[in-house]
Amino acid sequence: MPDDDPPFDLAGCLERVRQQDQLAARDLVDHLYPLVIRIVRSHLPRRVPEEDLSQEIFLKMFTRIAQYQGAVPFSHWVSRIAVTTCIDHLRAQKRRPEFRMADLSETEAEVLGNVMTSETDVPVNDAMAAHELVHKLLDQLKPDDQLVIRLLDLEQKTIAEIAAQTGWNQSLIKVRAFRARRKLQKLFQDLQKQERS
Amino acid sequence: MNRNDPNHPWARLTAAARTVTDDRDTAAPYGFATRVSALAFAAERRQASLLERFSLRALGIACLLTIGTVAANYSVVSNLFNNEETSLVTTGTGDDPVAELVDVASS
Repeated sequence: MPDDDPPFDLAGCLERVRQQDQLAARDLVDHLYPLVIRIVRSHLPRRVPEEDLSQEIFLKMFTRIAQYQGAVPFSHWVSRIAVTTCIDHLRAQKRRPEFRMADLSETEAEVLGNVMTSETDVPVNDAMAAHELVHKLLDQLKPDDQLVIRLLDLEQKTIAEIAAQTGWNQSLIKVRAFRARRKLQKLFQDLQKQERS
Repeated sequence: MNRNDPNHPWARLTAAARTVTDDRDTAAPYGFATRVSALAFAAERRQASLLERFSLRALGIACLLTIGTVAANYSVVSNLFNNEETSLVTTGTGDDPVAELVDVASS
């Protein structure tokens, strides 16, 4: 079935928002919500409700909308606000919980044990446990490093795409990725020692 | 760690994690856009009215300071005017040198 909805007139909507048109502001939020919620869900800090974080991102967007000059696409500009807001919340979390084998669920511990001791792929029905495990491991990294690894390894974005989304330069992204991988490597070595003992 | 190595534990874990799809709805919850847009414009109005209130307050304070200054220095100002009036009465010409010259010439 063809989509009969007319394409969203972003430029016109932005102009009306700048003229304090509340209806246009509502349309803009509706239009950008899927983009923002995807970023929020993939980088959601612990104990922060996704709706509160999305609201904060949109309020920041409206506060700074006069500064948007059109140098980058508007969706990239909003993505950067969303990413930096998520990182600020992650940084505000005082302490990352220590990663211990004892804190894992039975399935998670089993999946981790399997990937460390054998070279077989994770069974399909253990995918959810692997997903949880990956997020727990990522929680051990610094917020900026977490973000880079999530985007590279989970969302499979290229360095250029990450640069567009975060506003960081490509060398910085590579350095962060290298540092994060080294930390993950060390984490796996520690876990293997725990497993053996 | 070589992430391209498919046998590395991290590579196998992330490959499995990627197969988990997020089926949650990505549309804005009912009333979310209305609430956020109202909050955004309310915040702007609040900032404007705050500035307005401060500027009015500053104007009031400036008026009070002016009145206070005039009141505190009233005697000095009034003496100054009295002295000027007295000098005008005594010389009849004040400090105007041209008038004094004309006055001398005529006498």
